[in-house]
Amino acid sequence: MAVYDVVVIGAGNGGLTAALTLARAGRKVALLERHNVPGGCATSFVRGRFEFEVALHQLSGMGTERMPGPLRGILSEFGVLDKLEFVEMENLYRVVFPGGIDVTLPTDRQGIVEVLGGLFPKEKDAVASFLDLVYTYSLEMVQGVFFRDPLISKEKYPTFFRYTFRNVEDVLDEFFTDPYLKAILSVYWGYTGVPPRLMPFSDLAVILWAYIEFKPFHLKGGSQALSNALLDAYLKAGGEARFNCAARSIEVEGGRVRAVVTEHGDRLETSYVISNASTVHTYLDLVGSHRLPQDDLLKIKGRTVGPSAFTVYMGFDCTPEELGVFETSNFIVATIDMDSASEKMRTLEPQDWAMFSCYDVSDPDFSPPGTCQGALVCLQYADPWYRVEPHAYAETKYRYADAMISLAERVFPNLRAHIEECEAASPLTHMRYLGHPGGAIYGFDQYAKDSAFFLTNQSSIEGLYHAGSWVTGGGFQPTLTSGRSTAHAVLKAIKGR
Amino acid sequence: MALKDVLHDIEGYDELEREIEILRKYGPDHVERAEEAARIMAVLHPPRLSLKVSEIIEETPSTKTLRLVSAKGDLLPPFMAGQYVNLFVERDGVRTSRPYSISSSPTQTAYYDITVRAVEDGFVSRLLLEDTRPGDVFESTSPAGTFTHNPLFHGDDLVFLAGGSGITPFMSMIRETADRGLDRKILLVYGSRDPGDIVFKDELERIAARRKNIAVHHVISEPPEGYTGLAGFITADLVKRLAGDVTGKTFYVCGPAAMYERCLAELASLGLPRKRVRTEAYGPPKNVTAQAGWPKHVSADDVFTVKISGGRVLSAKAGEPLMVSLEKAHIQIPAQCRSGECSLCRTKLLSGTVFHPEGARLRKSDRQFGYIHPCVAYPLEDLEILI
Repeated sequence: MAVYDVVVIGAGNGGLTAALTLARAGRKVALLERHNVPGGCATSFVRGRFEFEVALHQLSGMGTERMPGPLRGILSEFGVLDKLEFVEMENLYRVVFPGGIDVTLPTDRQGIVEVLGGLFPKEKDAVASFLDLVYTYSLEMVQGVFFRDPLISKEKYPTFFRYTFRNVEDVLDEFFTDPYLKAILSVYWGYTGVPPRLMPFSDLAVILWAYIEFKPFHLKGGSQALSNALLDAYLKAGGEARFNCAARSIEVEGGRVRAVVTEHGDRLETSYVISNASTVHTYLDLVGSHRLPQDDLLKIKGRTVGPSAFTVYMGFDCTPEELGVFETSNFIVATIDMDSASEKMRTLEPQDWAMFSCYDVSDPDFSPPGTCQGALVCLQYADPWYRVEPHAYAETKYRYADAMISLAERVFPNLRAHIEECEAASPLTHMRYLGHPGGAIYGFDQYAKDSAFFLTNQSSIEGLYHAGSWVTGGGFQPTLTSGRSTAHAVLKAIKGR
Repeated sequence: MALKDVLHDIEGYDELEREIEILRKYGPDHVERAEEAARIMAVLHPPRLSLKVSEIIEETPSTKTLRLVSAKGDLLPPFMAGQYVNLFVERDGVRTSRPYSISSSPTQTAYYDITVRAVEDGFVSRLLLEDTRPGDVFESTSPAGTFTHNPLFHGDDLVFLAGGSGITPFMSMIRETADRGLDRKILLVYGSRDPGDIVFKDELERIAARRKNIAVHHVISEPPEGYTGLAGFITADLVKRLAGDVTGKTFYVCGPAAMYERCLAELASLGLPRKRVRTEAYGPPKNVTAQAGWPKHVSADDVFTVKISGGRVLSAKAGEPLMVSLEKAHIQIPAQCRSGECSLCRTKLLSGTVFHPEGARLRKSDRQFGYIHPCVAYPLEDLEILI
């Protein structure tokens, strides 16, 4: 029988960095993945002559060689940095209100003040003060929380203690009057799925700060290259990986993990499991609700399954310039009523918020010469898709995609005429590939009550740990970081045993 | 002092704690979400289907339709006209599979029809045509494939170029258009060897007579004496003559491998943009050593060893897809399109090199990190793979 120090379930971002951290520490690790490649969301697919990036829009936390960010540090520690080629994006983002304001924010603080100050002269000073707050907040958070200052107190870090749980809408109201200015500065809400009224300020502040300070990046070969590099490093460190091999159950005995059984019936004996699968699947299906400690059931009972996404992947027979696309990241916002825009994520009605990423702008090699591609995405809850009759699914998906393209054409009028390949992914597509309830791409909803302060990466079952978006925030940097920290917790537990 | 000791000093913390308490009492219970993804996918896209042959319909002397129903007795998953199922079969102790386009209309899923023509040395087609009886059960994948009408950019003016058994995906699209009264203009140009070989001849004629938007033309490559219809191959001239102005029309091509070479070259002379020509995947090349880029020092009969990481060692012929060598050694990896397109069989190559014919849909990161598509990967030396 096979005996392992740790079995890692799922080779998504969190599972990969967890497995890699453990293998590099000399532990005997088995990594199980139901799909045929590592990555989970971090992958790509091919249609015609195009390779479509599935999930990565703007990689945060990289920084430059001269000023490395936290993610660069982690990837360098893992020894994968020299296997990958990162591409820095020139600007932060462009926001267009069709028929109205059209603004592109640079990635530097003063530049943002100048650009927004030009558009909203009366509020120029307010923009500067707002960014001061974003910076002060983030730096206090990093020093106090990230570096675990033993002298943390509300006197020492007043901004952190005051602003963490305040909602974005309130804070914006404190600084600004123009609703468009507020919408431009909080446009990342649509990335997280939580409207400004409910989004904790800490989330927006840290996202803005991280992108401005460490710049948004992409990488050659897309996110799959990152996943592959992490897997290679893991194999090189002596780790064992099984693909096309889902976990079927986690055996628990006397309140402690005993083994993982695979879909093929193999039993892997172990005292430690790190699950990169959803907490819901881990608890209810792999452990089984009847064997689940009440406390774990309560942990997930307090939470709601978050949004999935709807993406239209388009390969164009022309260059970005011919489409009128000059920025990598474009937000198209057809309303300033963010609450109604977020409500639409729960319906099949045409959306008012979308992001259009054209990687070719910052990386001319991304698509074949003379062509480019665009990923047009909005967040979507799966619920309305459950009510679609199976036979109407394809038609519904195309109709929805068509409405998305119409929204994008309000800014880039010639998209349709230049489509050479096109594929749409609905929340059900994400569900099929990820196995997550609701096809959720960020795990549970990310309200203030779901922030890191209230979460744990450990189950009440001894030896069962979690990594990935279901126990941290969604996105690349958080999930990649989460696997590493969970692995450290497991290493500590093994040592203490 | 640590963060946990001062949490209550964060403004709003206590309120959030109370909110969490309330949710733990009254919040949504996730117990009903057990196996949610599996349950929903069981209806839309189960990983495997169990298909029972309910009827066998003789279409032409060389072609039969197998009508397949769910062995469990329920409805089959929905599909898009033009999609295929990969059917698993076992013969002489070897389990292998072949993709077959569904020829029936997607307007109902009480059954799928697959229409099979006898192929020379057809290991699987012989089994399906000669040794299969009603009541036999096969395993298959769910319907898959991208040779479908994409309303987002294909438009509604369509030209179908079919050769032989390549009519099957078109039959499904034509039946759907007729059944649903879709507002699509379809011109089918269908090449067969002789008039007796035309599959679905009567039904196509009936539909074309009833539906003004669907036109059918047969082209016979070996016409009998006195044949008055169109004869020869599908050429650019013929297409121009039948279709008129080709601007804005989307062309779909499906047929045996030889037809693609000929037909795509003909279409190229019409100057169509790439997006206006859609082709179905057509399996591994008949003779891979004739492909551009095949290294001269390796011959089709060379035999190499393949080591499965942490497992067995087997031998594999250079001229045979790695997937076939694995199957002969009774090793199953996921298989679906068997044409290098769908990526379901993607496997990590730990050492050695393989040859992929043009058209294998590898990604940049696959090339960079050694991922191969065994259904169209040919060993050029000893290999080690991770499965």
